[in-house]
Amino acid sequence: MTATTTAAPTAARAPRPQHVGALVGTRGLVRVALRFDRWRILVWSVAVAGLTQVSVDALADVYGTPESRAARAQLISSPAATALAGPGYGLDDYTLGAMTANELGLWVMLPVAIMALLTVTRHLRAAEEDGRLELVRSAPVGRDAPVVAGLVAALVGTLAVGGLTYLALLSTALDPVGSAALCAGIVMVGLVFAGVSAVASQVSAHARTASSLGMAAVGVAFLLRAVGDVRGPESTSVLTWLSPFGWAQATRAYVDERWWPLLIGVVATVVCVVVAFRLVALRDLGTGLVAERLGRTAASPALSGMVPLTLRRQSGAIASWGAAVVLMGGLVGLLAGAVADFVESEATLGELFGDADPVAGAFTIYAVFLALTTAAYAVAAVGAVRAEETATRGARVLAGPVSRAHWLGAQVGVAAVASVVVMLVAGLAMGLAGAGSLSDPSQLGTLLGAAAVTIPGVLCVLGVAVLVYGVAPRLLGLVWAYVAYVGVVGMFGALLPDGSDALSPFTYLPGLPAEEMSWPPVVAVSAVAAVLVGAGFAGFRRRDVVG
Amino acid sequence: MSDAIVARDLVKTFGRKRALDGFDLTVRTGEVHGFLGPNGAGKSTTIRVLLGLLRADAGDVRLLDGDPWRDAVALHRRLAYIPGDVALWPNLSGGETIDVLGRLRGGLDPRRRAELVDRFELDTRVKGRAYSKGNRQKVALVAALAADVELLLMDEPTSGLDPLMEAVFQEIVREAAAQGRTVLLSSHVLAEVEALADRVTIIRQGRAVQSGSLDELRSLTRTTVTAGLRDGDAAERALTALAGVHHVRRDDGHVTLDVDTASLDDVLAALPAFGVQSLTAHPPTLEDLFLREYSDELATLGVREGEPR
Repeated sequence: MTATTTAAPTAARAPRPQHVGALVGTRGLVRVALRFDRWRILVWSVAVAGLTQVSVDALADVYGTPESRAARAQLISSPAATALAGPGYGLDDYTLGAMTANELGLWVMLPVAIMALLTVTRHLRAAEEDGRLELVRSAPVGRDAPVVAGLVAALVGTLAVGGLTYLALLSTALDPVGSAALCAGIVMVGLVFAGVSAVASQVSAHARTASSLGMAAVGVAFLLRAVGDVRGPESTSVLTWLSPFGWAQATRAYVDERWWPLLIGVVATVVCVVVAFRLVALRDLGTGLVAERLGRTAASPALSGMVPLTLRRQSGAIASWGAAVVLMGGLVGLLAGAVADFVESEATLGELFGDADPVAGAFTIYAVFLALTTAAYAVAAVGAVRAEETATRGARVLAGPVSRAHWLGAQVGVAAVASVVVMLVAGLAMGLAGAGSLSDPSQLGTLLGAAAVTIPGVLCVLGVAVLVYGVAPRLLGLVWAYVAYVGVVGMFGALLPDGSDALSPFTYLPGLPAEEMSWPPVVAVSAVAAVLVGAGFAGFRRRDVVG
Repeated sequence: MSDAIVARDLVKTFGRKRALDGFDLTVRTGEVHGFLGPNGAGKSTTIRVLLGLLRADAGDVRLLDGDPWRDAVALHRRLAYIPGDVALWPNLSGGETIDVLGRLRGGLDPRRRAELVDRFELDTRVKGRAYSKGNRQKVALVAALAADVELLLMDEPTSGLDPLMEAVFQEIVREAAAQGRTVLLSSHVLAEVEALADRVTIIRQGRAVQSGSLDELRSLTRTTVTAGLRDGDAAERALTALAGVHHVRRDDGHVTLDVDTASLDDVLAALPAFGVQSLTAHPPTLEDLFLREYSDELATLGVREGEPR
């Protein structure tokens, strides 16, 4: 009886206004979201902060003198370099800080933007798509609460990355005020893309489409800033001001800090969040604003067998990674002329580029950079193989007359061939652009060769991923740590202690065009790649398949 | 050749959990074999071992006279598998998925495919990610049933289907059986197994606790008899005293009791003395058989045996 008397007043209470009810349950969801993400946030923060610190130390090492930095400033002011760097504040007195903000900042903001947008789609759209949100919303939880929880998770994530990066930068020689402006810009970019992702998550009913929309927004923002900065240095182009990256770089970190551009980002974030809330109220749970298109009633004759199936599944990933690598190849090719001028005016760069011809040395590093990006695609492709297995689609194919070697071989084969093609096309782009920029047709073959010789290294990284997948699939995520290691030693190997690069395949490959071509290491690294892949297949044939 | 599947003493552990703990299973060629057990009893693990996706830690398995682990590809040409939880390729339509899976096994009979799509009322244009649970299940059913195979391995194949589609499914399984195909049907839907299966195996904590034809299993247990009697009091006393009689209960003039098969004669002989006005007897349903195997578990769950459910 006591139960009825205490329950009665609750039931009799007038319904609360909707705008209050929409947020009920937020606190509980935020705690769940943060518990879900705690390791992810930790890994991202440590990785971004650590890589930033290492990079700043490396820049400080290489460009220790005002003369070398002035030469660098000249190089970076070329259009091709500007497209991959920043608006170029403080080029006339190019301090280490100005260099960090101008050249490094963008490459820290980019992953943070991607992290933030994936966090939001994971908590909003993926949860809704697999039905978790329906369960949550059937409890006394308002319709805006999951949106807020996803955004708070992204906020905490970006603040952790920004905060830890700031702490890491305090240990360097950089000015703390400038570091604060740089890190605040990083956090702001993360928040804007979290907001964009909250809107994108309302548009489509599918997490994949939502994250693709978010990634496209990052790409557009990147391009707007690149074109804007090339057309008008020091943020004088309107296009730069249409991009969150442009706002962050407009803080003039380490040069002459100004804080108001950050406010644009805050306003943009708020606008996005308000729009997302409005859209949530407009649509039914589980639907998007844009309806799904229908597909074919039967498969086309070409869609037959594992390879076409894999191509169909992977074509989006191959196209976007491929386009990114080829575009980068073309851009660094365009830099060739500027590099040549730069090297003539500054001879102390031998430390970074090796003892041989520094122009060639620069392209050796560029080629490895392209190879690293391609290797990242290859590792992501093996991640897609694992996703295929954990989603039990693998088991269903393997329950048909398809051997494990065939199933894995088709998918790894597609990744390997795509990697090779991407590297060759990127090498061609680099060669064509380089030949044009140096007015030297012989560069075409030279630079294409420089890209081609890294291919066994790419396949080696792919082999490591296949081995881990075949033997201990749960540890596949750790392969990304290996990719990061290969990246750091590939970019800064010359500056690191001797032997620290022993586990990177690129250490052993001839660094064309700076070094002489030598076949034995190419053959050896290719053989290692083959052994790794073979061991991975052997492991996969022996273990249980999920699902 | 007379047994499509023979498994002896199968053991499979996942970490500390023994999913299969000395499990035995025999499925005769051409029969529909029901495979019963609650969640976590080891049904899916068994089917995955039979598919060669998991490797048993101990024991012997023969499937269509082959080793499911070693001869997986050759055996899979002769069998089709329907999982209970179907994940589709998100960006392929249902029709494309059916064709891709069919072509991986060398092509489907287009007429058979069209007939199944029609009977299951499946819209094949929808993308995999947009299907509901029941429709995803239909895609898997069409893909598997359109294949010309000797053996169908079904792991809760009708989860998410509506009653109409369930009826279509049962009819198709009967047709398959009539064509001489062997079916291993793992299911929670006891009525479905009762309607389709020739023989059943009940699994509990990784072991087979019952196996045989439904008639055999029924004969091992009790028939429920309800009699309307003129002298209910005397009948209740007398019947309780009989050997092989259990759970005598009274509801006004009706006496209900559970009788061991061996004691049916005695009970029927005793009844006329109390003035029989009505009499019903029904053999144990599969549900009764199944729940009997789990009676102690039901007790710990607070459900008493013999109560109306």
